[in-house]
Amino acid sequence: MAKKLGKKARKFARKNLQSAAKRNRKIRNQFKHRRGPRGGGSAGREDGDEHVLQRVLDPTMVTDDAAATLIHGLEFPEDDAELDADLSDSDGYLSEDPGCPYYSDSEDEKAAKDCIMEEGLDRQNDDMNRDIKKQKKKLKKLLDKDPEFANFLEKWQSELESSRSKGDSDEEGMDSMDDDDDSNDGNLPNAKVLTRKTISEWCQLVSKEPKAPALRNLLNAFRDACRYGVHSDGPLMQRFQSARVFYQIIMFVLSESDNIFRALLEIQDDVNKGKIMNLRNSKKWLTVDSLIKSYLSSSLDLLSQLTDNKILAFVLTRLRVSVVLFSAYPSTSSRLVKILFRLWASGDRSLSLSAFLMIREVASLLPDCLDHCLTKSYNTYLASTNLVNDRNTKHIYFLMDCLVELYSLDVQKSYERAIISVEQLNAILRQASKTKEKEDLRKIDNWQYISCVNLWVRFLCCHYKDYNLHPLFSQVLQVIRGVAHLFPGTRYLPLRLKLVQMLNELSTCSQMFYPIPSLLFDCLELREVSQKEQTQRTKINFSSLLKVPKNLLKSRDFQEECILSAIQILSAHFAQWSYHVSFPEVATIPLVLLKRLHEQTTVESLRRPIKRLIDQVTENKDFIERKREVVSFSPNDKASVDSFLQEEKVSRTASFTRFYASVAENRQPKWRKTL
Amino acid sequence: MGKRSGSSRKDKNKVILPPELPPEIHDDEVDVSEEDIEFYATDSSNVTPFRHFDKKSIDRYVGRVAGRDEGEVERLYEERQKRKATESSGRPREDDDYLEVDPVDALPTKTLQGELVYNRAKKARSEDNSGSVKTKAQENGANAKTNTKKDESKGKSKNKKGDDNKVKNIQSQTEVPKGQLHSNVLEEVKEELSAEELFEKKKAQLAELGMSMLEDPESNIRSLNDMLSISNDRDQKVVKLGVMSLLAVFKDVIPSYRIRQLTEKELAVEVSKEVKKTRYYEYTLIRCYKAYLQKLISLEKQPYFYTVAVRCMCALLDTAPHFNFRESLLASVVKNLSSSDDVVRKMCCEAIRSLFINEGKHRGEATIEAVRLIADHVKLNDCQLHPDSIEVFLSLRFDEDIGKDEIQEEKVKPKRNKRWQKNQEVPKQLPVNDKKKTRQELISKARKEVDADLRAVSFTLDPKERKGIQKETLSALFETYFRILKHSMAASNSRTKVNNVSPGGSHPLLTPCLEGLGKFSHLIDLDFMGELISCLKKLSGYSDRQDEIPNDNALSVSERLQCCIVVFKVWRSNLEALNVDLQDFFVQLYNLILEYRPDRDHGEVLADALKTLLWEGRQHDMLRAAAFIKRLATFALSFGSAEAIAALVTLKHLLQKNSKCRNMLENDSGGGSLSCLVAKYNPEATDPYLSGALASVLWELSLLEKHYDISVSSMASNILSMANLNPTQNPVPILNVNPLEAYRDLSLERELSKPASKALPLNLKRKRRAKEFVALSPDVLQKADCSVDKDELEEKLQSHFSVLRGISENERLRAELNHTLSSINMYKEYKKQKRKNMKVKTGRKKNSKALAV
Repeated sequence: MAKKLGKKARKFARKNLQSAAKRNRKIRNQFKHRRGPRGGGSAGREDGDEHVLQRVLDPTMVTDDAAATLIHGLEFPEDDAELDADLSDSDGYLSEDPGCPYYSDSEDEKAAKDCIMEEGLDRQNDDMNRDIKKQKKKLKKLLDKDPEFANFLEKWQSELESSRSKGDSDEEGMDSMDDDDDSNDGNLPNAKVLTRKTISEWCQLVSKEPKAPALRNLLNAFRDACRYGVHSDGPLMQRFQSARVFYQIIMFVLSESDNIFRALLEIQDDVNKGKIMNLRNSKKWLTVDSLIKSYLSSSLDLLSQLTDNKILAFVLTRLRVSVVLFSAYPSTSSRLVKILFRLWASGDRSLSLSAFLMIREVASLLPDCLDHCLTKSYNTYLASTNLVNDRNTKHIYFLMDCLVELYSLDVQKSYERAIISVEQLNAILRQASKTKEKEDLRKIDNWQYISCVNLWVRFLCCHYKDYNLHPLFSQVLQVIRGVAHLFPGTRYLPLRLKLVQMLNELSTCSQMFYPIPSLLFDCLELREVSQKEQTQRTKINFSSLLKVPKNLLKSRDFQEECILSAIQILSAHFAQWSYHVSFPEVATIPLVLLKRLHEQTTVESLRRPIKRLIDQVTENKDFIERKREVVSFSPNDKASVDSFLQEEKVSRTASFTRFYASVAENRQPKWRKTL
Repeated sequence: MGKRSGSSRKDKNKVILPPELPPEIHDDEVDVSEEDIEFYATDSSNVTPFRHFDKKSIDRYVGRVAGRDEGEVERLYEERQKRKATESSGRPREDDDYLEVDPVDALPTKTLQGELVYNRAKKARSEDNSGSVKTKAQENGANAKTNTKKDESKGKSKNKKGDDNKVKNIQSQTEVPKGQLHSNVLEEVKEELSAEELFEKKKAQLAELGMSMLEDPESNIRSLNDMLSISNDRDQKVVKLGVMSLLAVFKDVIPSYRIRQLTEKELAVEVSKEVKKTRYYEYTLIRCYKAYLQKLISLEKQPYFYTVAVRCMCALLDTAPHFNFRESLLASVVKNLSSSDDVVRKMCCEAIRSLFINEGKHRGEATIEAVRLIADHVKLNDCQLHPDSIEVFLSLRFDEDIGKDEIQEEKVKPKRNKRWQKNQEVPKQLPVNDKKKTRQELISKARKEVDADLRAVSFTLDPKERKGIQKETLSALFETYFRILKHSMAASNSRTKVNNVSPGGSHPLLTPCLEGLGKFSHLIDLDFMGELISCLKKLSGYSDRQDEIPNDNALSVSERLQCCIVVFKVWRSNLEALNVDLQDFFVQLYNLILEYRPDRDHGEVLADALKTLLWEGRQHDMLRAAAFIKRLATFALSFGSAEAIAALVTLKHLLQKNSKCRNMLENDSGGGSLSCLVAKYNPEATDPYLSGALASVLWELSLLEKHYDISVSSMASNILSMANLNPTQNPVPILNVNPLEAYRDLSLERELSKPASKALPLNLKRKRRAKEFVALSPDVLQKADCSVDKDELEEKLQSHFSVLRGISENERLRAELNHTLSSINMYKEYKKQKRKNMKVKTGRKKNSKALAV
């Protein structure tokens, strides 16, 4: 069913939904996701046409297959086997208490209807209505003319129906489960039209007394609302006549149900999984079990139905408070995790963030989900770093931070994963350095590899102080040095700068000395600028580049960017050791080169920043020299060396610190803040 | 059979004839053929008319094929297919027949040719209808072949004539009248058809001939001729095969001695049958070998055969460097040492290297020849060659003990001689008559001759000869090296003005040259030393003007460092007897340390320089040592761990040797305690004496103690611990290696080739509460909590609803519309059916009516 629906929907969307498509294009540009059989079915037609659009829109999708080959086993293996274990037990329909009243309020129905209908669709529908009327008239005429025709037509229709149903059952034998559900839905007596009045009444009842039977009705209505539009010809479509009702139900249930359930179960805010599991066998639980389940699975339906980022984010925040309830239903929670990761990887910042917060909640509250979450998030991260461009660098950094956050939940567990991943990186590096073949080198010279290294650097930076991560640290260091060594030359300067940046971060977090300057000398010694004036200035953004295109190698912009980045990284290095007793010596050789560069550079715009760095470094150098002339300890006196200028360091008053802060701020849009 | 017996008789006649050996002509002959080739290669004006014409006519044929005779061609192709099919089924039997008719081991030329002719006749008969021109042309070709055969047997001007014949053939082919063009096209297509068959056949033939040669070279030596003639084939594949199989045969057959030309006298002397046979064998072998080499040399010019030809030559040079015609082989191989083709160059280098290493095979004569040839090659090409062509020199081996042995032997010899003489003299002292004297003389003469013979046979040279050869080799070698140095100097002077585009790129030979000089430094004549050193000083970029850093020096840092290394090696290997001031080189190194760039320059060279100049040096000036100590410490702060450890090892060594410099480890009032000329340290000084390093403190080491690399940091603390020791005491050594080894140990390649270390399991320092955020900044997190505007939310949800609704509505309406439309369409159907029914009914009615009537 899912397949067929999707296909149909796509076709439909292509033909008839240009305006809707445009609108969707505007509001959503998200990543493709793999859908489970169930998820696909309920994702319905909206998702179907979404799908088509993404193919066209998302540049990542175009290269997806080609780039996927580059993943080369960096991913953790995933096992999806546990899914679908008990999905089919119930579809969440609750038997209703007949005592609950249904009210009819047709007065506002008409008014609400069509008030915000999509124009294009609306017009089309109107046209069609007109057409139908016309054709019906024609048919009627015919029928009037020849009464025997009616018999003939009837016969033909019944034939058609029987043949269609046969075909359906042939085609969709495997999807019969869904069909069964549908037929069940059809037979159920809840096809009554929901009106505003009814809903408000129910809401009031429930707010007053959580145990009220209206809750069931409300949840059923919620369920139907969530699945609205899945089957266009189902009776569900008739239940909602106005958009306001729809809104009312969803808003109320989403905002209140957590409180209601907690009240019913009499649990506090800080329950964990164990408590829920204990509760499961109690009587209290049994009464609300089906309610909770219905609520959760309906919310998931809603999540997979919705397309707007803001609503999605809202639903996620609402749902976050009840994450702990998911622990009772493993299959539902795994479906939840799937949806969450899809939303997390999507480009929208706030949606992504709320999805992540939810993931984190799930991972911390449901221990069995942690492993799955770690694997899934890592793989999702790798997949989204497949292609990096100017637009998504920020998002990738965000994903990386999220990942680090997630991996910080259980450092012990994460450490093992980190070791595995870094060992993989190391193995690839060794292979490449042994063979030096293009194919092997390409496995390193890509964003996935570099992002992976960056991830672990970030992880190390966050935890180096609190845990003894030295083995991981040295391995990561080796990988970084090896990559820098394997890719010499000006073309790879962006890659080099990234690696040096990582070294800086590692050096800052571990307080170890790393001699960075020698890796930057290439940047400071670029000499050959093409003489011809460039007609248009090409924007070079190093944050989304690993390798400079050949035509830009000698361009002035490339040089400028190189030198500015080098200055930034160098000043970070200097800033780190600016209070150390041997700062003058650290700066000696770089200063020589900087002075030479300042003399020789032909690019006017570079002179000022270079000069500024030289002046600042010289000033700090003089400052340290003055200070150390008056001390009496020798270099081998470790304690005294460490305490040298500690006060100044803590107060951060030296001019170089201020200088570095300003440099870092200037470059902020292009370079991520170090910490 | 009769025919064959006749031919064998002919052979016998030939054997009986005194073998006319043309040894005097060998070299000349080679020259002539080369000239010929050059004539064809260079004087293109002579050749182009032929080519041009030929091409035109071919084009015309092709045009014909494309235009008019398509049907005909089609038919021919079909024929080929058919033939192939029948052939595949029939061939085995044929082969059997063939084997039965002719035993494999004896395939005399004539029979072979007869066989070929017979086959052709058969084919011609079967393809009678295709016109007689083809057979004519084939006859022509056959004639050419037989001509070459005859010429070969004549031996002398064969090649020239063969060429002439070929030219004539081309002419005759191109002069075919226009009327015959049509048939020509057919003929060519047919030739192509039979080419595959021919190829298969020739392959088999080659294999058979080769096998027979390997089985019994003595009696089957004449098969070489056949193989040669096959490798003259027009089919390129056949030529390749032929050349390769000949190589295999020659590799096996070539004797371990050089075949000498027979003198007139020897020819005149009547010899036994055996000797005659051997002489004939040798004669044929050498003749074929020569022809083969000429073939190879001519093939080398053609791009298609280039690799194959060079491979054959290299293999031959490798297996038979002692054999005749080594000179021409060597010349070609040396020429290809700087080939742009990587594979070819590698092969040639390997061949020359094995020549140098296995001197026993050729008594060192080939070595000197090769070295001389390379020297000439370098000279001719103005030093613009691939580095590999000079690098082979590094495999040269010079036996330093030769001279010593001789001296010792001479010392020993007299004694021995005396003793021997004494023994001899005892009888000698007796009065001897003339007869005896002459007899003794005769005896001694004979002995000498025997000795010479023995030496000639056993391939050992007496030390004197060997020394002579070595001397010559050395002089050729150093001539090359000096030439390269001179050239680089001249170029570096002129090029600074001319083109500054590719620094270092235009001295491809300098690096291997410097390496070689370093390696053979102990063999350099003292007379050259002064000049060499001044030359190297210039090359290393030293200028008298101290203020100007020679930035646009043509040589790269590595090359300049190498110059310094070579100077010190030369100086040291001559027992430091030379009275030269090497101070300038220290200054040079002092400055070059700052110019070093990790990826551009070779770290090993730097480490080697540190090792040669500083680590191995005996006593250093205190000022100089202090300057180097300070600079190396600063250097270690900016460069990677491998460079840093090399610097630190050197630094430690310097501190150990110069105990006074240990004051730099301590911070006395006013910096270093020792007063010197310059009171304040100037890190950017270019002269170590003026840097004032002695006044500085080695603060670097305190930071190096925090180095991420454990070996560097421990080295730094080790050095720092020296401060607390007496000047005579040394700290516990932790790394007992020289800078070069230290560098290599820590270099990244080494590190990456080591097996990956297994990471240890994590031991926690403290458990953090899991709820804290670590990576995400709080302001990012804040964004998540701000809830969405309610109105906006409502609007959005409602629009979501309406879209869904719209879609479903649309779908429903569409279904309805379709249904109605199809219902209307059904009406037509209905009418049709109705009409039919009516007809049937009316028919029936009519029928019934008729029946009724």
